[in-house]
Amino acid sequence: MPENDIFKALADPTRRSIFEKLAAGSMHASALREGKEISQSAMSQHLAVLRNAGLVSEQRQGRFVHYEVDPEGLALIAGWLAKYRAYWPQRVDALKGLLKDMDQ
Amino acid sequence: MNDMDNDDAACELVQEYALDAPPEKVWRALSIPELRAQWLPGTEHAEPLSEVPQQALSLRLREAEPPFLESTVDLKISPAADGGTLLRIVHVLTDARAQTAREAANDGGFLMYAT
Repeated sequence: MPENDIFKALADPTRRSIFEKLAAGSMHASALREGKEISQSAMSQHLAVLRNAGLVSEQRQGRFVHYEVDPEGLALIAGWLAKYRAYWPQRVDALKGLLKDMDQ
Repeated sequence: MNDMDNDDAACELVQEYALDAPPEKVWRALSIPELRAQWLPGTEHAEPLSEVPQQALSLRLREAEPPFLESTVDLKISPAADGGTLLRIVHVLTDARAQTAREAANDGGFLMYAT
């Protein structure tokens, strides 16, 4: 598995949010764009990067192409790692702020 | 300390941080649920899996959103030379679905260090 491709793909916050949305269930590209300020072509490019990294797969259903994350796949682990690698520094920053505010 | 699911193939994140506060103060921010919730939301009602006063705390985490992955996090503190505190975070993905994925891949799994 191209681990570097995976981490590179998920290093981008927009792609990580797309990936996390897909982790909750498969959907088609236009549903993925709901609530995001992102053009159709930009979304296509993000999905292509995720697909090339082996994180999402696509399935054609009639006129729509559905994208999904394999729930049993290593993508789940890669996504988890990417998410929490970004999560902990933010939480520790919050901890540092709290420590400043606390009494000795 | 955490002997479950923590084998060689563990999917874990290990991070270390230097904090500019004495260990006793950091321990309060980690161990008192109301304080902990201020920097680690969602853990105010978490029952610690284990606790060594002034040193280590282990919590089970479950994501509030899909895919609701389960994990455990060990928070360990030790005094730093400058009077501050070293915080070591070991976060292990224990979810059964991830176990399945690792077995399917039939390799050593991921081990990633980020500092």
